[in-house]
Amino acid sequence: MSNQSGQVYGLTILSPIIEDDRLDICHSMELRWYLGHLPRDHKSPFAQISSTYLARLVVMDDVVYVGAPACEEHLKSHYLVFETNFDWDLETYLTRLARETPEFVDAVWKHCVGYPGVSDIAAFIAYMKKCQVETTFFFADVNNRTVQKSLEALRTQSALARFIAKHQGQSPAEVQREFGRLLHAIAHAPPPIPGGDESDRMPQENRPHE
Amino acid sequence: MSEIDVSDIQGFSLKGYNFPCARYLLLELLHHEAARDFVKALLPVITTGERWDIDKKPMSTVNLAFTHTGLVQLQLPMVSLLSFPVEFQQGMKARGDILYDTGKNSPKHWDPVWKEGRVHAWLAVNARTAEALEERCAAMQQLMTETGGARLLQGQDAGAIYLNGRPSAKEHFGYTDGFGNPDFKGAERVCVPGQGKLTGDGRWEALATGEFLLGYADEAGELPVAPIPHLLGRNGTFMVYRKLHQNVATFRDYLDAQGKLYGGGKEKLAAKFVGRWRDGTPIELSPDGPEASIVADNNRNTDFTYGGDPAGARCPIGAHLRRVHPRDAFGFNGGLVNRRRIMRRGLPYGEFVPEGQPVRDEDERGIIFMALNASIFRQFEFVQQQWVEYGNDSHQGNDKEPLVGNHDGTGKFMVQGTADPKNPPFLCGGLPQFVELRGGDYFFIPSLTALAMIATGTVDPR
Repeated sequence: MSNQSGQVYGLTILSPIIEDDRLDICHSMELRWYLGHLPRDHKSPFAQISSTYLARLVVMDDVVYVGAPACEEHLKSHYLVFETNFDWDLETYLTRLARETPEFVDAVWKHCVGYPGVSDIAAFIAYMKKCQVETTFFFADVNNRTVQKSLEALRTQSALARFIAKHQGQSPAEVQREFGRLLHAIAHAPPPIPGGDESDRMPQENRPHE
Repeated sequence: MSEIDVSDIQGFSLKGYNFPCARYLLLELLHHEAARDFVKALLPVITTGERWDIDKKPMSTVNLAFTHTGLVQLQLPMVSLLSFPVEFQQGMKARGDILYDTGKNSPKHWDPVWKEGRVHAWLAVNARTAEALEERCAAMQQLMTETGGARLLQGQDAGAIYLNGRPSAKEHFGYTDGFGNPDFKGAERVCVPGQGKLTGDGRWEALATGEFLLGYADEAGELPVAPIPHLLGRNGTFMVYRKLHQNVATFRDYLDAQGKLYGGGKEKLAAKFVGRWRDGTPIELSPDGPEASIVADNNRNTDFTYGGDPAGARCPIGAHLRRVHPRDAFGFNGGLVNRRRIMRRGLPYGEFVPEGQPVRDEDERGIIFMALNASIFRQFEFVQQQWVEYGNDSHQGNDKEPLVGNHDGTGKFMVQGTADPKNPPFLCGGLPQFVELRGGDYFFIPSLTALAMIATGTVDPR
């Protein structure tokens, strides 16, 4: 099953965008404007869905003809492309998306043909599945760990690097004592925030140049 | 093999002269008619890429390049001016965010001559002796005076560091420099192992000419982006000029302090920083110590790959050499690096202070770094941004290149190791800024044909 790599799911959605000649500003333009102003940091709607590795939303008007020997082809419609890699299964993820970020989902997919809204979650899931195409490539850095475990590992790695830089060369007793403190600090650190910079949440003794 | 017309290509674009003395005359061009006369007067003395007979090696060479503002000053047609690649039109100062030229490297700390934006031309004189240098520079000054076409803003001296009365390839941190420039098709010398591109069966062959000269096919089989008309770009290339100040006291203090902590000792740590022992021996070929016979052999001193050292136990994964020329380190037989190669033409400036003698960061010393490539954006800027100032491709996270990266005292450099107590893993933390940018710009080095067209006002883009 090429949509799944270990416990990571790769979702690719192509939703046709509504075309309406009567509008002053077309749906694809409005959607482009909305997407262009979405926050990309820990305030991103995807940061709320903590199982998201990566998500990308693109408005695709047409395929681009690059000259011979390519043949000239065109899409039947403008499409919203939604690509995301996340932990576990598709239905859980779509349910979270609909329940936890309903305003965001509405604001994006209201521009798409046949979007049923999120009040009927079964209908929303059925719609998204209908727009789904097979994913064959995953985000290069995806491993077989959950997002939470990856963030914790990155935090531990950088804390350990700072620890080594600060304490290498000290006596074994000192290193052991300090290492015990490091382990304690890591064990009691608050959970990492998805989509956010972790450096300001490390216990003070593990910050650089303290 | 591509046929290239070496008599139409400036010598500096094709080869390093290996002359010990140099002065880079940074010029402001004056009224366009006088400036064109000045270029015309220079034409007969510009050094080309033609091979010198053994007994006819000149005492000095002359080469000429322009910034985009210089070409504007020369009143090239607007259509031609706008056809140059965007990064060249913008100039290096405007590319600061991309290059990470921030903090101490930002333009507000540059030498005045680079801050003011009036450098229109770079007139380079390389010479075999100090006397020949002065003589040629005086002749250049005379041409400026006679034509009234240019004004000298500053003469930047550079030259080989003399050791025991002989010019050397050392730079101020004590490393032997200048190994390894990419070979490309059409250049006169035979491809040296380690200096072109890797083939599927592990041999080395010359890169496509168009990686370094405009008007020829590049590694993608395309012509590099070049100005119009075709003759204006053909046989020309782009140069990145960066004055890199070296904080020698900071470097020596840091190396002394870290060398005491590192099990392999100070000299090995110095070698781990760069990927070569300070005498030039590649650490990949000789991990336990310098080996003079390798350094002396041009067929061996750049002939290595990293495939046998994937964990960086010999050459650290973040070492200077392994970052800026990763060879096979990213897989695909080096296929990911062949379009990111640059030719270097650097020379030190300032007085060399031997180890053990008092030295100050404040004194003027460093390297005039000059890199030649067909696309500044695709080649130099990519290397600087992705491989020097970032570590993702080499799996080093946010770590920067340890020596020339823009450090603020918080960076780190991981020295991978083994269970051998003489080669332990080690982490260099709190990296200070060893090298600071003091200015520079992007230049176009035209062919002789293009110089003649510029001088005679016959650049015609129609």
